This record gives sequence, structure tokens and C-alpha cells, in this order.
Amino acid sequence: MNLRKKIAVMGVSAALVAGVAFVAPAQAASKDLVIGITLDIDKLDPQGATSFATVRALGLVYGSLVEVGPKLDIRAGLATSWSFNSTGTQLRLHLRKNVKFQDGSAFDATDVKASIERILDPANKAAARSNLLTIKSVTVVDKYTVNLDLTIPNVAILAALDGVNIAMLSSDDIKAGNVGKTVNGTGPFKFVSWEPGQSVKLVKNPTYWGSAVKLDTVTFRVIPSESSVLSALNAGSVQFAVITDPLIAKQVGSNLKKYKTPALAYMALQLNAKKAPMDNINVRLAIQCAIDRAEVVKTAQSGEGTVIGPITSPAYRSDPNDRPCPKADIAKAKAYLATAGYPNGLTIKSMVAPTQFATASAVAQSLKAQLAKAGITLDLEIVDDSTFISRWLAADFVTSIANNGGRIDPDTMYTRYFTSTGNLNKVAGYSSATLDALFAKGKSNGNVTQRRAAYKAISEELENNAVWIWLFSPYEYRVTSTKLTGFIPLATGSLLELRKADLK
Amino acid sequence: MQGVSKLQRFLFSSVTLRILSITTTLFGISIFVFLVLRVIPGNTITGSFGIETGMLTPGQIAELRHYYGIDQSLILQYFSWMKSFLSGQFGYSFSTGVSVMKLTKSALPVTIELALIGTILGVIMGIAIGMFSARKPGSFRDFGGQLFGLLALAIPGFVLSTAIVTIMANVFRYFPNGFEYMTPWENPWVNFQQMMFPGLVLGIAVAAPIMRTTRSALLETVDKDFVRTAHGKGVSPRKVQLRHVLRNSLIPIVTMTGIQFGYLLGGAVIVEKIFALPGMGRQVLDAITKREYATVQSSVMIFAIMFVTINVCTDLIYRKIDPRIK
Repeated sequence: MNLRKKIAVMGVSAALVAGVAFVAPAQAASKDLVIGITLDIDKLDPQGATSFATVRALGLVYGSLVEVGPKLDIRAGLATSWSFNSTGTQLRLHLRKNVKFQDGSAFDATDVKASIERILDPANKAAARSNLLTIKSVTVVDKYTVNLDLTIPNVAILAALDGVNIAMLSSDDIKAGNVGKTVNGTGPFKFVSWEPGQSVKLVKNPTYWGSAVKLDTVTFRVIPSESSVLSALNAGSVQFAVITDPLIAKQVGSNLKKYKTPALAYMALQLNAKKAPMDNINVRLAIQCAIDRAEVVKTAQSGEGTVIGPITSPAYRSDPNDRPCPKADIAKAKAYLATAGYPNGLTIKSMVAPTQFATASAVAQSLKAQLAKAGITLDLEIVDDSTFISRWLAADFVTSIANNGGRIDPDTMYTRYFTSTGNLNKVAGYSSATLDALFAKGKSNGNVTQRRAAYKAISEELENNAVWIWLFSPYEYRVTSTKLTGFIPLATGSLLELRKADLK
Repeated sequence: MQGVSKLQRFLFSSVTLRILSITTTLFGISIFVFLVLRVIPGNTITGSFGIETGMLTPGQIAELRHYYGIDQSLILQYFSWMKSFLSGQFGYSFSTGVSVMKLTKSALPVTIELALIGTILGVIMGIAIGMFSARKPGSFRDFGGQLFGLLALAIPGFVLSTAIVTIMANVFRYFPNGFEYMTPWENPWVNFQQMMFPGLVLGIAVAAPIMRTTRSALLETVDKDFVRTAHGKGVSPRKVQLRHVLRNSLIPIVTMTGIQFGYLLGGAVIVEKIFALPGMGRQVLDAITKREYATVQSSVMIFAIMFVTINVCTDLIYRKIDPRIK
């Protein structure tokens, strides 16, 4: 090698080494937490937030009347205590004192009234409006006491008061029409900026009503691929991320901390009982009997998930084996098909959006393989997210593979789907007088034992009629730097407990 | 008569015809994108509210349709967007609350920089390996060059990108793209590090077709009389290769480079995604998911205008390379 070539090779090598050796930008200060997110937030109105990213980011800025704790217990938020009247038609809330919005104004009962009335006003397109429809009126009793008068007995409404969609807003902001334009909450962090497609920056709220927040700043940085998010965690440029793909989660090494929490969300094969051949109960039961849910979890989820029945709310969880076919039974499936008039099997279409959840395609393929054993050909219609949503809402599908969110209370989880007047009943494709009566019974009673009986009956009704095929609940993985301490993961997906976390 | 002749000459001159052809192409693209977006299921409401759209009342949906401007006739929607596009605002992004112009102003330089780096690296690698291969066709070195070309074509960009990101992060704990994106003006060193690997991935993808084009063009030129004459006159082999063979083979190489550069401007979506670069590819992808019509339409038009401009530039370069081309 001549001298010129040697110099060239050395130059290139030095450049490469330098590129690798030099730490890129200024490293974040010790109390600055960077959270990697794959999707950007899409709005600044907390009551209209629907995407996970928006809910998580704004959930750190806004507060709600009650909070759901790590054990899915309902605990004090901006309301410190509450009570129902004897008939369950009035909820009295006693509010926390000395709470301030981030603009310095005080939080009181007028803000609660204005916030709930804003949610109930259809013009505001609030995401949680349907959960609060039983509120007839909001009355300010005094500066720190509010009454919610209900149209029917509804003790389940307490759980519906948690979350960013029920964010308490400043009545002044509502009057001025500032909601969604400025961000002014009572949460542990204050909003600083949003660079669309890149990042959302928050800074700690020194006037937060809870214990002092230890982190100085929280930045949500958009890194669109989960494998790149994990790389950023490994490289130290990100210290926190929510991972949904079990295959990525399995790659998390010992240099990071992984919190694995069973999610309330669930995967189901939705059957549209309003469309043939799903209008035939025997076809639906045949599908139920042909599917081995444990096998779906094993093959599509790498074993990362829990087989479930319809209700995933911990206090009311359905027994996954309480159904006509607790285990796969191909002979029984074929018998149901013969009864339905399809002794030689049949072909059914199934809509799936591979981008809806990480393992959607794998779940679809697993179901296709299993159903084939019973003579059912699953014809997969692969569509993008927006097409899926549009067709799903129009009930323009025979079956669909869905990833639906769960709730801590089965009433808010399923009333909208399985009561005849529910907003999503068209999508659910099934309702009955029995279900309507059972849901009314479930929400009218504060006694947990009696409520459990009602929801057990609902679960049985749904499974015995094979309304949908409930498959499994995935896990939620929060992966953090080992330097992050004091964080408690919540099954609701909220990151609120970052208020107690610290970076060492 | 002389006046008519001048007018005819003007009307049928190559420049006028070119401008006419470009305008028609761009108009056709604008109509095509506009219609395709409206034919596919979903709209800005489902894109924004997701499954919660099911919770909206018919009245709310009507209000939202009015708010997003999708309650108007298609013709009105088209002209409303076109007016905004021509005014330089490019329409409005509802999810971010800013004009598409503002979004494009930050995303376009990222994509152009990435495409330029990719193209420059691709051209350097492609021509060098192509020349290396063509020197001794059928030899081991030619086999090596062709193998590079095949591998570079066969390995998808997302596989190479993911492999680089994973290896660099796991082995060297190095992933500069995990930090906040920096423009070359804010921090050139950080920007270089953030662009280095995605540029390399794109460069390899571009190098393969350029390498193959270079090799074929060189092999075709090397047998020409003027090359034999140059050799006969005693010109050194390196000079013959560079000044006579390569220069006379440049037209297909420039054509391929132009096509690849245009492709990179609109086709770097996956690389931008994996390397977390806030470029136009991501802007379009997000906008398609959210059915943000104005953002998708304007971004595609910007790609189209750039592609057309590159084609014109390529034609101009032809004239520089070969003065016989008018």
C-alpha cells in the first residue's frame, strides 16, 4: 500500500471511530426525563384526546376528580372524598383545597361544573361524553362541594370520573374558548412546547398539590419505530418508553428495567351477528369451538398474554373457561357447522389492520390456521388503520380482529357496545333485552357482590351466544433506564406516577 | 406573415412544449392525488377521532365535516386547496394547528439533505465499483462488484437500517438519532452523526443501480474507435478511463442518478422512520394515517415539482456533458 492509500485508509478509519466515540448532542441533565413515543400527540384538548400518546402526555398536565391506583382502586384526585345518596341518584364530591391551575388561578367547584358541562355539551366532541350521559345536572353546593344529579341510579359513574378525558379545566379558559389552544391544568407538569412530529416538552409544576415533583423536565420524543426506541434506550438517549410489541419487549436487556403489567385492553375476533353467516348462532359457536386461545397467545404473542373472557376489569373479571367451548374442540365445531347447514365448511371474511397492534397479522394468521382445521376458511382483508376504523364504525365487516381498550368498570367498558342504545351497538352487532336489563342492574347497585352477579350473567350471555370470540389481554411494557427510580406502572396506561419518579 | 411565424416558433419551441408538458403533468397529479384520497375509506374525522368517532352524534359529525371542509362539493374542495397551495400556505393541518407550509418548512430540508447525502454517497460508490468491475469483465473483481450490486438491490433498506441501529446501540451504545434532531445550522457535528447512517443506507441502495449502469455504459464505450485511438496515441490507461471512457458514458449514469435522487426525495419514508428523522416521508405517512388531505396533497405536489425540476436539471446536464444534444 503506498503512502497516499495509507493516509486515505487512516483518515476514513479515524472518521468512523470519531463518529462512534463522540457522544452526539449534549447529554440530558440528570433530572431531565426523555420518553420515546412512536406516535406524536394529535391535539391539546384533553377532553377530546383519544390517541394513547395524547392521553399519556396530557395526563401529566391535567388532573381528574378521582384517580385509579396501581391496584386499580379508586382513590382521591381533585376530589378528596365522595358519597352517594341512598338511591344512588346523586353523587356528592368534596374537592381538594389549595389547588392551583398552572396559570396561578385557584381550582374550585365552578371549574368542576364548567368542565363536566363542557363534556356533556355535544358541540365540544368530548371523548368521554357517553360515560357521563346519566348526569342530569351539576350543582355547586359551596366552593369545594359539588353534587352530580343522575337520571338513573349509577354508582359506576365514579370510575368514569378518572382520566384525562375527564380533565378538570379552568372555567375561565372554557369561557374564553382557550381549551385546546393553551394548556392549563392542575397536574404535576406544565406544558412548555409541542414541535409537531418531533417532541412535546413539559416542565415540573412547582405548585402541584401532591408531593414535590422530582423530575425537572419530561420530553416526549417521537421515534416512530419501536425497535429504534429500544435502541435509543440502550444508547441512553431516551430513559423511558412504552413498548407494545412482545417481540421487542423480549429483547430488553439487563441494562434496562422492564415493568410488565397485564393490560385492561383485549384482543377479540369480533363477529358481526347482523350479517350472514354470523347471524347464525351455530356458526358463531363453531368458530368459538375451533379456536384455541392459548395457542394464539403462544404462537402470535410469543406466550406474552393472558387468555380472557369478555370482562377484563379486575374486580369483575370473567372466568375464561366459563363458555360452551372452554378448550378447542374441532369435533364440536364441525357439529355446530353441520347444524348451521355448512357440513362442508365455509369461507368468512375477516378485516385486519396490521398497524392497529404489533401482533395483529400474527394473530390473524394463527386464527386462520386454527379455523382451517374445522373447515372454516378465514379470508383476511388487510386494510390500513383509517380504513379499518371507517369500516368498523359502519359495521362493514363480517368479522374483524380488534384491539379494544378496557376499563376498570365493566359498565363503562361494555354499555356502549352491548346495550341496544349504546353508541357502538351497531359495531358490536348484538343486543338483547336480557343484556339491557343486566347492564341496568349492574350500574344501579353499589354492592360489589350484587354487581359481580350481574356482570357474571352478562359475561355468560355474551359467551353462550358467542357474540364475539374474546382471545387474550396483552401485557404493557414500560422500559426504563436503571437510573429512573420510584416509578409505579398503572394498568390504565397512565404515566401519572412519574410525579413520584426520580432520575439518579 | 413574419409575426405568425414567430408566434408559431414560440408556441412550438421546446421550452414552451416542456412547460406545457410539466404543467399538464402537475395538474394531472394534483387531480389524481385529490381523488385517490377521497376514494379510500375513512376521512379526517375517523383519522382524528379513531374508534371514538362511534361516540359522536350525527350532529357532531355534521359539525366536524363542516369544520374540516369535507361537507363541500369535491370541486369546491379542490379549488379551495389549490388556491391555498398556490398562495404558498399549502393548506392547513388540523392535527397540529399550523399551515402545511410551516410543517414543510421544517421537514423538507431534512429530506433534501438526506437525499443529497444518499445520492452523493451512492454516486461515489456506484461509479467507483462500476469502474472497478468494468476494468476486467468476467474477472474475480467483476464478480465482487456485481455481487455488491446484487446484495445492495436485494437487501431491503429497512433491514439494513434496523441492523445498523440495533448493532450500534447494543454494541457501541451509540444512537445519535435518539437525541433531538439538529439542523446543520444548529449543530453541524450532531447533524452529521444523525445523517451519517441513514445517508449510508440510502447511498448503498442508490449505488447498486448506478454501479450496474456505469459498468454497462463503460463496457459499451470501451470498444469505441476513439478509445482505441487514445490507447494508440499512448495516453495512460487511467487517463483513457477517466477522460475518454467515463466522460462518454456519463449520460446513462446521470439519467440513473436523477431518477434515484427523485426517488429518494419521496421514497425515504422507512429510513426516516427507523432513524427518527422528521422529514417529508414521515410527514406524508402520518398525514395519510390521519387522512389530513391538504398535507398529503401538498406534500405529493412538492415531491412532483421537485421530481420535474430534477428532470429538467438532468436535461441541462446532458447538454453540458454532450454539446451535440440541443
